[in-house]
Amino acid sequence: MKNVSVENYPVDGPGMGRRAAWLMLVILALLALLVVLTPAWLIQPFRPQSQRGLAVSYSLRQWSPVLTLAASVVALALVVWLWRGARRWWLKSILVAMLVLAFGATWFARQNHFEWMFNPLANAAYARAGEADFLTDTDMVLAIEVNGEAAAYPVRLMAYHHLVQDTVGGTPIVATY
Amino acid sequence: MLDGRRLSFRLAGINNQNFIMRDEETGSWWQQVTGEAILGPLKGRRLDAVFHDELTFATWKREKPQGRVLRPDAEVARKGRYAPANWEERVGKMPVATNINDATMPPRTLVAGVTVGGASKAYPLAAVEQQSPILDSVGGIPVLVVLGDDRKSVRAFERLVDGRKLDFFAKPETTILRLVDGDTGSEWDFTGRSTTGTLAGRQLKRIAVLNDYWFDWKTYHPDTGIYKLGERQSN
Repeated sequence: MKNVSVENYPVDGPGMGRRAAWLMLVILALLALLVVLTPAWLIQPFRPQSQRGLAVSYSLRQWSPVLTLAASVVALALVVWLWRGARRWWLKSILVAMLVLAFGATWFARQNHFEWMFNPLANAAYARAGEADFLTDTDMVLAIEVNGEAAAYPVRLMAYHHLVQDTVGGTPIVATY
Repeated sequence: MLDGRRLSFRLAGINNQNFIMRDEETGSWWQQVTGEAILGPLKGRRLDAVFHDELTFATWKREKPQGRVLRPDAEVARKGRYAPANWEERVGKMPVATNINDATMPPRTLVAGVTVGGASKAYPLAAVEQQSPILDSVGGIPVLVVLGDDRKSVRAFERLVDGRKLDFFAKPETTILRLVDGDTGSEWDFTGRSTTGTLAGRQLKRIAVLNDYWFDWKTYHPDTGIYKLGERQSN
């Protein structure tokens, strides 16, 4: 961690190096957080979205797993290096906190928080029309027919899962609501 | 399914209150309402739409007794996460956040939207309830918009048989909906099929109906027309 600029300052070399490492650690942790929180913020349900906002979110979602992982690796190295010099307990707490932020962002980048809210339907099961006692006559269904096979997806179930994949009449389909 | 390749979809986000799906094969993002990829390697591509109906369970079961229907997931049901029976009322009160500034109708007005001949039109459900069967014309094509006898299911058809435009009215005093065309007096059922008369066995061409909120329909069909009560055409 020797760096050229250190020589230009009257303060002691290791001190400057440590300060730079601290700064870098904080910036890395905040950047990692920003990378995962920006798309989550831009595509909140009850907010309008713009084309540009979506494009930014898409890029960030694509790159956030690798970016946050890199940030975590570097942050970990910095923390290890800074640990022994950090003599006060609160300095150590800050080091741990920065690491938690970076690791947290790395974990979040691998999550689909929309599926926390709306669990995907892993094993879709079906009932014959006459045996569907879980529906009342006035419940709405989305109905399709492909090559003579008829399938219906109750709107109340679709309003939760939003997405159901099926094969009807030999054709793979995705029903969305 | 795209170019013979099977895609698997997951929920990925939301765009002005319409969901975004992500396919696991390419990572592209797809807009739910259009089936079009909006970002990623497949941007600009479109999934083939499967013709669908939105019906009451009773109407569907009567028409398709051999059909199969999706079961609730036991775990989700146990947690009470599925919408209650009155969920539509509740959603109707939820806030709306889009860039659409349109004062023609309240944003959460329920409409039956159709796209025919390159043109779109929204039929407020209240109008359909009052005036069904509605005889109209969209994109130069004569259309028929009908409310089922369950008073909830809406279907639309091209009202043309062999190039001849037909006028329809509801047959009075029947429990099961029957339409009669003014030209031949043939009777038609809610599937758009003629049951009796000289046109028996003929099928009107179906038009997909999207039951939607006005703000959502308008967002994705910016040039849409709106059906107003009293526009009923003869001819």
